[in-house]
Amino acid sequence: MKAGAIDKGIALLIKGSPFIVVERDFVNPGKGSAFVRLKLKSPENGRVLKETMKTQDNVEEIIVEEKDCQFLYSDAESYHFMDTETYDQFEIPMEGFADYKLLMRDGDSYKIIMWEDKPLDIIIPYKVVYEVTEAFEGVKGDTVQGASKLVTIETGLEVKVPIFIKQGERIMINTETREYVERVNS
Amino acid sequence: MDIKIIAARSHILSQIRSFFHINEYLEVETPILAPELIPESTIEVFETTFSSEFHGDRQLYLTPSPEVFMKKLIAKGSGNIYQITKSFRNSEQIGKDHNPEFTMLEWYTMETDYMDSIKTTEDLFESLIKEDTPGCFKPPFLRKSIEEVFKEYISVNLLKCQTRTLIKEEAMNLGLKIEKTDTWEDIFNRIFLNFIEPELPKDKPIVLYNYPKQILCLAKELKGTPWRERWELYVNGIELANCYSEETESIKVKNLFETEYAKKVQSPGVIPDIDSNYNLIFNKDFPECSGVALGIDRLVMLLTGATSIEGVILFPFSDMIDNE
Repeated sequence: MKAGAIDKGIALLIKGSPFIVVERDFVNPGKGSAFVRLKLKSPENGRVLKETMKTQDNVEEIIVEEKDCQFLYSDAESYHFMDTETYDQFEIPMEGFADYKLLMRDGDSYKIIMWEDKPLDIIIPYKVVYEVTEAFEGVKGDTVQGASKLVTIETGLEVKVPIFIKQGERIMINTETREYVERVNS
Repeated sequence: MDIKIIAARSHILSQIRSFFHINEYLEVETPILAPELIPESTIEVFETTFSSEFHGDRQLYLTPSPEVFMKKLIAKGSGNIYQITKSFRNSEQIGKDHNPEFTMLEWYTMETDYMDSIKTTEDLFESLIKEDTPGCFKPPFLRKSIEEVFKEYISVNLLKCQTRTLIKEEAMNLGLKIEKTDTWEDIFNRIFLNFIEPELPKDKPIVLYNYPKQILCLAKELKGTPWRERWELYVNGIELANCYSEETESIKVKNLFETEYAKKVQSPGVIPDIDSNYNLIFNKDFPECSGVALGIDRLVMLLTGATSIEGVILFPFSDMIDNE
């Protein structure tokens, strides 16, 4: 495929190794011809590679499969999953996906991108609702607009939230920016 | 759309107008719908048709910049002028700092050159600063030549790499893959975009000046060097403005148009009609001048701390397309 057709989330084979496209931006240097700027991540070790190529350059796309899996638990080295169709259990080494640890919740289902039986990526939904497990009360009389505090959600992630959020409440998080979106009432 | 952006944009636009008013530039309005353009081989344009029931149809184009008309005003003796206008570029991908329709500020200052225009741009920035303006926007600008950054960042002596073979050798030493069809300019851009631009300082605005003359444009050549009198301004890693000492020699403009047109007809996409007499405006009375073009949407994005131009355009293209 042409580099100009690359989308975020697809997998490419670069110098023999698979990479996931995590960021893609276009750039036309000083009215010049079109280039695409990529940030790629190796599922093998989490290494990030930055590359800028012409939109007309050829790249090798990998044909991948998606499978639905349940996240069971994590230990020091791996994430443990179960394929919800075959009930097979398998591990994914944490090394390539360490930054997902504070976003995944035991028991939740995720789509896993597979290539030749190797997991390339775990798809975390863009917005997820989590429970606040630790929150200090806002300081009384603190009515400054936009005042915020740090709370911890059930996965252990610390998030900056408005002062009115209480322990036990459910909040929506943008998993890409890891920022608070809104309080969820139901 | 964040409703606060309406106020921020409005305020920034009024400050810009006030800056140019105080400095005695005239605000001008020129067509964005034009029957002829200047040939620019790397820019794709939007084409439309003017229909006349009794006199046939006429192809028209949305202007990719107001340059062509503003120079006609200069030729008529307008003196210092500026314009805030819509510009259009087709085929550019929609992304965090691109929208096919965008707002451009362009100004021309008579009897000055590109280096003088750095100072004017700093003064403009100074006039836009508020208490909460991010530090990355504040003048003075850092100034480095392209030759300097190539030496400093990748130890490449660009002065000695003026042939395709020599620059290709340097690019391959840096681990880049070069295609057979790559021109000198393509290889330069591959190096620049992979090793220079991502490393530019982000805490201060930086002007990169003296671009290779092999990159053709309407900037004057810097006498006795392989460079042109041109700069690009980067703020927080984003290309925000560019500037030329404007080419005023009629024959050079004519030659450039012929070269660019020849490239244009070989490329896919719309080939706009060209005003073949355009170079005639550059007669002996055409003043020496310097022109700066600056992307207003990117400027608003940087001043408001937004992370994408979609956040500062009231109706970004991506939203309108998604809603279909």
